[in-house]
Amino acid sequence: MKHVAFAAALAAFAPGPAGAAQWKILPGGALTFSGVQAGDKFSGRFSRFDGAISFDPDKLDEAKITIVVDMASAATGDRQRDAALPGSDWFDVAHFPQARFDSRKVVRAGAGYEAVGDLTLRGATREIRLPFTLTIDGAKAQAKGHVGLRREMFGIGQGDWASGEWIDLDVGVDFDIKAERTD
Amino acid sequence: MEKPAPNRYDAVAVVLHWAMALGIFALIVVGLAMKHADIPKNRLFIYFQAHKSIGILILLLAVLRLVWRLAHRPPPLPFSMSALERGAAHAGHLLLYLFMFALPLTGWASVSTSPRNIPTVLFGAIPWPHISFLAELPDKAPVHAVVEALHKYGAYMLIVVLIGHIAFALRHAVKGDVPLSRMSLFGAGNKAK
Repeated sequence: MKHVAFAAALAAFAPGPAGAAQWKILPGGALTFSGVQAGDKFSGRFSRFDGAISFDPDKLDEAKITIVVDMASAATGDRQRDAALPGSDWFDVAHFPQARFDSRKVVRAGAGYEAVGDLTLRGATREIRLPFTLTIDGAKAQAKGHVGLRREMFGIGQGDWASGEWIDLDVGVDFDIKAERTD
Repeated sequence: MEKPAPNRYDAVAVVLHWAMALGIFALIVVGLAMKHADIPKNRLFIYFQAHKSIGILILLLAVLRLVWRLAHRPPPLPFSMSALERGAAHAGHLLLYLFMFALPLTGWASVSTSPRNIPTVLFGAIPWPHISFLAELPDKAPVHAVVEALHKYGAYMLIVVLIGHIAFALRHAVKGDVPLSRMSLFGAGNKAK
């Protein structure tokens, strides 16, 4: 059922405006997250995510990036933590099965780009700036980036977990994804 | 014709006794440490997981032990002990059985109603559920406060009862009327006597 809902959410993507190159995310990419629990670092990955990307370095005005993440696919390799993550105190996947990023604009930044857009996580939408580097090689592309988030901005960690006492409020999200041009 | 009364506990009872003794000792040490020692936070999660894992194991062993105890006759206490002494010994043992169930159950209830809602994974491998009707209470806080207090003060009472258990076992061993060999892991001991 979850997979059906996830596919439906992706199918609802409106393709970007004609003109900008269309890209399809290839399997094998990594979307990972990291945090600190009681002083110890941990990291995990989302095994299911997808997106719709319209991007042409020469037509940045028309760039549009949408990424959807299946929150139930998160795993950190620790059974106790992984049992807690989907619960209502954390990702609450029963109510918010997906996280979503919708870019509003993409600008050049340093050696790469920055996607400015809305990240919706656990039902809360906040604007974030997502820096990334991009290597385009013919019809293939690779994007890498890191963004630091404050989990309390999205209500991730409720009740006793709302403070940074046990789990730091700062979390990191890293991605290294490959895409293929489809148009 | 009835068999003569045994002079020692059978092998299953002995193994259960010592396995649980070891587990309960570990639970007391870990339990006191996680509440009263200055443990680094990252270790505390591990202490709690260990305490929960051993505690549930004790609960399962307690079920097995009770069934075994009801189905197998223990060696009788000697008639050199007064009726009062024998009654007190039985009451003490009954109390120990009560604690073997009450402490894991109040601990489990405490975990199930905890505001932190931390899942239990026994020995890092086996997911163990919360007590569902407690975990689903709309307001868990008052129930949590009660079961947590029961667990805590129950544990202190158990420590006292255990000290009594060990002290009386040693007293009778020294006196010679109830030898330790009744519960010995290493054969029948002074069976020839």
